[in-house]
Amino acid sequence: MKNFEYLQPKSIAEAAGYLKAGNGTSIPYSGGTDALVMMKDNLISPKKVVNLKSIPGLNSIDYIRGEGLKIGALVTISDLAEHPVVKDKFKILSEAAESIASPQLRNVGTVGGNLCQRPRCAYFREDFDCLRKGGNACYAFDGENKLHCIIGGSLCYIVHPSDLATALLVLNTKISIASGEKINEIPIADFFVLPDEDFTRENILQSGEIVTSIFIPDLPEGTKSSYIKFRERAVWDFAVVSVGAVIQTSGSEIVSGRIAFGGVAPIPWTESVVNSKLINRTIDAHIADEIAESILSNADSLEMNGYKIPLAKNLTKRILTQLLM
Amino acid sequence: MTRKIVKSKYHFEPDLIETIGEVSIEEIKPWGSNDELKIIGKPTSRIDGAVKVSGEAVYTSDVILPNMVYAKILRSPHPNAQIKNIDTSEAEQLEGVLYILTYKNAPEIGWYYNTSYLFDKQVRYQGDEVACVAAESEKIAEDALHLIKVEYENLPFVTDAVEALKDNSPKVHEWGNLPRGNPDKYKRGDVEKGLKEADLVIEDTFTTQVVVHNTTEPHCSVAKWEGSKLTVWDSTQAIFNVRDSIAASLQIPASSVRVIKKYMGGGFGSKLEAGKYSVIAALISRKIKRPVKIVLDRREENLAVGNRPNSIQTLKAGVKKDGTLTALSHHSIGSIGAYPDGAGCSWPLRTIYKCENVSTEEYSVFTNTGKSRAYRAPGHVQGTFGLESLIDIAAEKIGMDPLEFRLKNYTDKDQVYNIPYTSKKLKDAYEKGANAIGWHRRNKVPGSSNGILKRGIGMATQIWWGGGGPPAYATLKLNRDGSVNVMAGTQDLGTGTYTFIAQVASEVLQLPIEKISITIGDTETCPYCGASGGSTTAASVAPAVRDAAEQMKAKLISGAAAILETSEEKLIYAEGIISVKNDPSKKITIHEIISKMRERVLVTTGARSANPEGYMINTFGAQFAEVEVDTFTGKVRVIKIVAAHDIGRVLNPKTLENQFHGGIIQGLGYALMEERKVDSNTGKVLTANLYSYLIPTIMDTPEIEVIIVSEGDSMISSVGAKGVGEPAIIPTAAAIAHAVYNAIGVRIKSLPITPDKVLNALTLIKR
Repeated sequence: MKNFEYLQPKSIAEAAGYLKAGNGTSIPYSGGTDALVMMKDNLISPKKVVNLKSIPGLNSIDYIRGEGLKIGALVTISDLAEHPVVKDKFKILSEAAESIASPQLRNVGTVGGNLCQRPRCAYFREDFDCLRKGGNACYAFDGENKLHCIIGGSLCYIVHPSDLATALLVLNTKISIASGEKINEIPIADFFVLPDEDFTRENILQSGEIVTSIFIPDLPEGTKSSYIKFRERAVWDFAVVSVGAVIQTSGSEIVSGRIAFGGVAPIPWTESVVNSKLINRTIDAHIADEIAESILSNADSLEMNGYKIPLAKNLTKRILTQLLM
Repeated sequence: MTRKIVKSKYHFEPDLIETIGEVSIEEIKPWGSNDELKIIGKPTSRIDGAVKVSGEAVYTSDVILPNMVYAKILRSPHPNAQIKNIDTSEAEQLEGVLYILTYKNAPEIGWYYNTSYLFDKQVRYQGDEVACVAAESEKIAEDALHLIKVEYENLPFVTDAVEALKDNSPKVHEWGNLPRGNPDKYKRGDVEKGLKEADLVIEDTFTTQVVVHNTTEPHCSVAKWEGSKLTVWDSTQAIFNVRDSIAASLQIPASSVRVIKKYMGGGFGSKLEAGKYSVIAALISRKIKRPVKIVLDRREENLAVGNRPNSIQTLKAGVKKDGTLTALSHHSIGSIGAYPDGAGCSWPLRTIYKCENVSTEEYSVFTNTGKSRAYRAPGHVQGTFGLESLIDIAAEKIGMDPLEFRLKNYTDKDQVYNIPYTSKKLKDAYEKGANAIGWHRRNKVPGSSNGILKRGIGMATQIWWGGGGPPAYATLKLNRDGSVNVMAGTQDLGTGTYTFIAQVASEVLQLPIEKISITIGDTETCPYCGASGGSTTAASVAPAVRDAAEQMKAKLISGAAAILETSEEKLIYAEGIISVKNDPSKKITIHEIISKMRERVLVTTGARSANPEGYMINTFGAQFAEVEVDTFTGKVRVIKIVAAHDIGRVLNPKTLENQFHGGIIQGLGYALMEERKVDSNTGKVLTANLYSYLIPTIMDTPEIEVIIVSEGDSMISSVGAKGVGEPAIIPTAAAIAHAVYNAIGVRIKSLPITPDKVLNALTLIKR
């Protein structure tokens, strides 16, 4: 790790100023559970580390019935997981938060940091001059690609590591980004970037832009949600495949529903063709199988990750059965 | 007591070592059952437990000395390269950098059986040592590493053992990719003849992965010179090996080197060899005249300090319809990495089952990857998975209960040396283990249970050595106040050595354990004991401690007889007081005896007795696993492991259970998740950290029930203990694998049994 200057801004504007002035040599710092690892492994060597935690007002969770849930970017993963409203109304989110890393990491990791973390592809993290680091090849394509993407990859085959991202995508979350003097609110689906748009970044943030909060619209009555994360180790592991679902029912009818997947694509992944099957649909014995069979129809696996397709389908069956039966 | 130099034999891992050693020949009556003993066999808390949990215990990695500096090692980023030049000038300019060692200025010290040097111009794996920087802080040393300019000429490399055996493969060493030029072969009887006699011939191939020790405490060393004397604090399983290796490397007398290892956070075999870092620390420290500390980081741990070799095992068995094994053969290939080691894994097949016709052929192959080292039951863990899988298949093919099949081929003698065992309670282990797991509950037809979550039960057998032997010594000092110091040149890897030594002394001298203080892990103050490996420590050292304590008791009785003017036969010893048998009023205390003798400390030194001629000492056991397989995800959850073992006398049930828990959890990691992955296109490791190299957490850990079926084996020694460390891990993976088969009806023949493999296998059978 190289020496760096540690800055403690008191406002978003001040922080943004530092980041912008750094022109790519300054990094925002929230929980540090990824940034510090990246620095220690010399993957990044920032000249300035801008601590966002010195900015007041970014760590609260506010719920307004009928409107929704606003979560500050500096809310820790454990505070999110344990928040009574989140546990009660947004189960998918508390389950996703609870599934992240380990208690120690959840205690310092933040919502904003979790959404902006870098990929865990071994070729990105280890000593390889890979495409995403400015090199000229993806080593995973014909390398060890058991944990890589089965859809959405091109040139680079990472999966997005964030569990919250998958859950928030299902929840139609909006992300607030401070950009200069303005705060822009964009749908989370527009936040993430596929490799064929730009294989060097995972999201649209430009230098000097900061995620300040997220907003989740309130869920109608009769809505159930869940998040299932499948990993090789029982805890402290990234998702091999995860699935999150939100479904609103009325009697024996599904009013609407959304499903999204983690661990399958370079971004949190959802499919409108699948979600459209969950609008005004009668619940019957075949529904879980039928929906599961319809997912990831364009998946194109690499040599070692074909198992992710049946895995995602089985997890879809499981989550729908759990929510509907 | 009298002593004599005699011939004796013992097993250190697969090596049968013939020693000529000084042993105690005075017959000490072996202890009876643990019921008759007061301290031995009773749950005893670690005497070093409190200082460890409070943080007071100073491990090697905690040692901080005045004026100490830190050193970091630059390692090769390439799997095979020739160093054309190293330019350290820029690094030397960095403020705080004190000294840089490279092949240019380091003495030519042979390493890895002289196949390389401490610093070699030829680097043969990603992680091979290139340079070492000493600096005022660890941070400066690390910064300086980035300023060293190394010019490499990259060479073709090979990372796969099977590829490396081919004629056109790149050669790791110019003389070839087999350390001795040939495979290791073993043969008894006639396998072809045996196969002809069989009703059924079964052949199959099983593979296992490379796993890394990943000890909690990294490999580390602190070296300090005072005049011509060198003290090295080292995280090692073998203080005397390290001492002699450093002395030889530096060409100084062994008497000038003192190696200290007080507490350790695990070794598992990876700390049996003297490390380059220890010699480097000593060399730099001598040069700059300040203490030098080197602590490897987690990445270095995963690259450069050993691993369990992989295996590709092809086994063949001839079986008669009644279950009789008529022939067994084993062919194995394993990668030992870039420098000499062994990857053989056929010993379980040679020894567990009765079979006249056996042949084995083991290829230990060089590859451009990190060198393998002994790892908790080297060879046996891989070999047991292969053999026991084949046995399970054989039993099923002839329609026999797997346990019954194993009993059918039970042997009471060692078939390699054709001699009986001193004791073998494997039948009891089978029976008690089967009862504890509920063996009858397993699926009669594998995979036949309904539902998405399928349960299954499996078992596997364990054999290992672990009888220990001479030489091992202990010196006991008895103070006037009845307190005791025991010194022995053994080491505690975190396994409980401190505690059993205190227990033995306490048992014999009938003094409270609180009054007994133990010094181990110090080459200067302690008499010699061997390396702590091969599950030999307790079996070797405990009898030496008992010998020293019995001598002390005899000395006290002798002293009391002189003072009380009576004969020794009339005296009885109880809790530090010696009294006349029929006249309890005539008695004398330790304090009085030692005071009268005008001494302050009475000293005795005890030795391990010789092992019995014509017998084989082995540990045995069986582990039973119950698993639940999620057929939706391929995830295996282990519900319960029952470990039923014959390990001789239990010295301390608490630390014994700890050892079993550790071994079984490590075995579970081996079975289900741990794997060092190397990118074959570049020769680089992909898992050199603890988030991608998965080690089981407590959430992955099942209920573990430990059943010990043995008591003291009086043929081995006066204590009758065998080892525990390695038996604990040997059958775990095989038992889990068989339980998975019993659950889902499809056999995964490749470790680790990861969800992708299970899911792929289940998808195949569905089609």
